[in-house]
Amino acid sequence: MAANDKATKTETAKEEQASPILIQMGIFAAILFVSSLISPLFPATFPVPTPVIGLVILYVLLASHIVKLRNVEKFGDFMISLIAFLFVPSGIQLAASLDILKAQGVQLVVVILIATIVLLVVVAYTTAGFIWLRKNVFHRDVNVEE
Amino acid sequence: MITLTGTAHMAVWGKWLGDALGTNAAGASAGNALFGIFLSLIVYLFGQWLFKIGKGFFLFQPLFVGMVLGIFILFLFAKAFGTDTATFYKSAYLPGGNIIFWFLNPATIAFAIPLYRRNDVVKKFWLEIILSLIVGLIISLFVIYYVSKLIGLDNVGIASMMPQAATTAIAMPIATAIGGNSAVTAMACILNAVIIYALGDWLVKFFRVNSDPIGAGLGLGTAGHTVGSAKALQLGSIQGSMASIAVVVISIVVDIVVPPFASMMGLI
Repeated sequence: MAANDKATKTETAKEEQASPILIQMGIFAAILFVSSLISPLFPATFPVPTPVIGLVILYVLLASHIVKLRNVEKFGDFMISLIAFLFVPSGIQLAASLDILKAQGVQLVVVILIATIVLLVVVAYTTAGFIWLRKNVFHRDVNVEE
Repeated sequence: MITLTGTAHMAVWGKWLGDALGTNAAGASAGNALFGIFLSLIVYLFGQWLFKIGKGFFLFQPLFVGMVLGIFILFLFAKAFGTDTATFYKSAYLPGGNIIFWFLNPATIAFAIPLYRRNDVVKKFWLEIILSLIVGLIISLFVIYYVSKLIGLDNVGIASMMPQAATTAIAMPIATAIGGNSAVTAMACILNAVIIYALGDWLVKFFRVNSDPIGAGLGLGTAGHTVGSAKALQLGSIQGSMASIAVVVISIVVDIVVPPFASMMGLI
């Protein structure tokens, strides 16, 4: 783990050598293209969409040091900073399903609101429970650097 | 010189605007994408401005404002053109909206970066992460099932609510497979993100979710998808990394867990 931290630090030190933005975009495009070839291989009953495969591929490439942070982080961080804006068309997409809302709208929105809160709170506290088990039952280290 | 009467003016302008927006029969194939891009940007920027002068009032979150205002503007335009909102949305907004929507692909992939930045946490807690997401999802499914029943959704509605923790592209086909309506599921996935984006800070505080940074990250990624991950990054690097891994793992867990859950509850 120490070696990994060290690797991350040296990579940050080389920040001035960040790859040109077109190369960074090229890496993203290549990963997306390969992912779009892999995605249809999954059966219809077990769908795994292109961006999910792409996320895994980029993570594996980073973890195996084939791709360095400086090759992708400038474009990647930029894309992440845009995520709320990129979601606007999805939000406006609801204009096409206004008739669904007319039928059962209020009930659906209430269930979705509750479901969102349930997912957040239940997953967070389940995790806290498992970490508590790790610490108090299995007596394993739970410290992380901030 | 041709002089036009008031109504002829209207007709000419109407035709011009219709052509430009791609809503007339002639312009429909052209599908002008610029209107959709322009409208998305304008409503989002207006939301940012409103959020700033509203001193961060949660309902003024730019994504929420952009969504509501965008739909409202499409509704007004549709009225003016004498069509319904869904038709106008498809012909005028969608070509441009799809271009912006496409960029969610590289943006989703980009979450591998915050994930890798905290690879130390991933390596140390991978077992807890996977177990928490599986157990957390199963508990949530029971709660969502009974809440849906209590509020009075029919079986189609309940089935549509089950896969919403997954990313839209996974949730929709699963909803269809277990007898739900995939359009309703897509709406759920979108609203998850909008709700987490608008209420996330408040929910995290109110439910003291952030007392465990790993749990906060996994919860935000599960409930709010990639938008939740962006929220989690604001809390810290561990939270951001955990939310990114949650987006991937929970989608696969939904793939595996939701169909048998649905048949166990008698939905299919």
